[in-house]
Amino acid sequence: MSSPKSFSFKSLLARHEAVLVFVILFEVILFQVLGRNFLTERNFSNVFRHSVEIGLLAVAMTPVILTGGIDLSVGSMMGLCAVLFGMMVNALGMDPWVAAALAVACGALGGGINAALITRLNLPPLIVTLGTFSLFRGLAEALTKGAESFSGFPAYFLALGNATVAGLPAQIWVFFAVAAGIWFLVHRTTFGRSFRAIGYAPEGARYAGIPVARNTSLAYVIAGAVAGLAAVILVARLGEARANAGIGYELLAITAVVLGGVSIFGGSGTMFGTILGWIALAILNNGLTRISDYKIMDQTVASVARELSGLLTGLLLLAALAIGASIKTLAVRHARKQPIPTSKPEPATQ
Amino acid sequence: MNKYFREITVAAALGLLLLSLAVFAPHFFQFQPFTSRLTSQMPVLVAAIGIALVIMSRQIDISIGSQFSMCAIIAGVTAASGLPLGVSIAAAIGAGALMGALNGVLVAYLGLPSIVVTLATMVTWQEALRLWQQGRLLNLPDGIQWFGLSQPAGQTVVISLAFLLLVGAAFAMKHLSAGRFIYATGSDAEAARLAGIDPKRTTFGVFVLMGALAGLAAVLNLVQSPQVQPNCGDGLELKTIAAAVVGGVAISGGRGTLWGVLLGILLLANVNPALTHFHQPPYWEKAIQGLVILLAVFADGLRSRKAQT
Repeated sequence: MSSPKSFSFKSLLARHEAVLVFVILFEVILFQVLGRNFLTERNFSNVFRHSVEIGLLAVAMTPVILTGGIDLSVGSMMGLCAVLFGMMVNALGMDPWVAAALAVACGALGGGINAALITRLNLPPLIVTLGTFSLFRGLAEALTKGAESFSGFPAYFLALGNATVAGLPAQIWVFFAVAAGIWFLVHRTTFGRSFRAIGYAPEGARYAGIPVARNTSLAYVIAGAVAGLAAVILVARLGEARANAGIGYELLAITAVVLGGVSIFGGSGTMFGTILGWIALAILNNGLTRISDYKIMDQTVASVARELSGLLTGLLLLAALAIGASIKTLAVRHARKQPIPTSKPEPATQ
Repeated sequence: MNKYFREITVAAALGLLLLSLAVFAPHFFQFQPFTSRLTSQMPVLVAAIGIALVIMSRQIDISIGSQFSMCAIIAGVTAASGLPLGVSIAAAIGAGALMGALNGVLVAYLGLPSIVVTLATMVTWQEALRLWQQGRLLNLPDGIQWFGLSQPAGQTVVISLAFLLLVGAAFAMKHLSAGRFIYATGSDAEAARLAGIDPKRTTFGVFVLMGALAGLAAVLNLVQSPQVQPNCGDGLELKTIAAAVVGGVAISGGRGTLWGVLLGILLLANVNPALTHFHQPPYWEKAIQGLVILLAVFADGLRSRKAQT
């Protein structure tokens, strides 16, 4: 009797990433045909220069979502860190690099507040980070009295956001370093491996001897620190630090992660998927603005294309969620249909 | 400990706040501004009743701000095209129920987490509205403001409608099977299912109700001014979730009362006017709101920790 091929989650994920690569290729071809100046070196670096912050948040959000949690506060954290950074440089006259390091530390501290409330008091991540979402943004607004902004940063600092290093935007190299670091943590260390174990079954992870609270905390601290880093890069790119930095970025980051095939319930997903999800999202947003340069179309149609990107992001997230859930339902149904082997003692995999 | 401990604490805090205002800033209680402030909180109350039911069934809906804006614009557009007021009210509530039904299908029948589903629908409605209205202010025809009544009469209608709804919903939650289904689904969906309750249908129904209440709240907001803004619902999700959590609705579902929600709204709504009356800058409102949410969940966490040991 040939044993029926059991459903493998790994092959599904491999397929998910393959699908994403095709989606990205499709986008590139579509926008190359419809848009203007899409496949140029300049536009290529623009795509990534303008979405590095979201990419950073997405890679840092991945460990959090792998543990079955969520962090809604990262966008607000960017606002607070941007304001703190601006104050340290402008009001206190600090060296921008020292201030940047302190901003990252502030982010880590904020992530630590989330972590402490979530793991020490066993509170749901959703409501804790919703509270800090409001708190961090509110502090940023209060510190700037709702309107002040900081600018006049030295040119050598602004280079971080605008210069080109070895043919790529300077901040891309920062992204590579962070993404590689988190990839190594998640996929190559036992510590990172525990994120998925915790997300898959927190109780099971605890019985397996994993320090669940400590490891989950680290995911939130990393998310906070990276949000601080993203704030510094955003300030360097825009040349201005305001309280409204990063509004709505948490949603874009979560969208990239979910598009990348990371299960929103925790327990499964890869860093590679998240990065592909982010690239697909970044190209979509950039490509739509390229279409609006397309003069053959009616002017009103062209301006609609530019504004569609937000709506499409929302719809894309909904579609990705619905498809993901349907696949899961089908997989369960498929697994249930398999006959339970009688001769072998090993039970069927679920 | 007393079952209504949280309600009593919040009521005491509210009493203290109002008392200190009465002593230090007595003009806070002048009749007309006081009534206006109360009226302006009624849409929040109606939406918060919805969100409280959602949270009690152990879900969350952060798309209600976008639903609210969308319903307000739909009501405004239908009214501006000359349709009678009743039609635009029905359109707003119907549209809200439809948007709620979409959330409900995705959450209840596809089993997706409500936080991500409603995050996605939040941005979808918000962006669809931006595309449609381009951020324009919509002028409303005569006869909409205060339902075509005088201002005091209109305020009375708005306040009494909201309170009637509150009393009705509070009664239903305590004494009707539908209300008990919500508590049961929220405290343990599997146990509810074994007891013969359909948790999926209950969850779906709660989301539809949430949408309809967002529509009604939008109408109650619409009648208070001669114009309607496409971003009028921004931040409503935070305000209502904060009010529910502060009022003692447990975020883990199955626990809380609508009276607590009312107290939560009154407490949070008085933060900003109190800041003004004590001559403090108003920029702190959002930070205080966040801090109050964290304090409330912190207290919950400490209590459940104590209960465990």
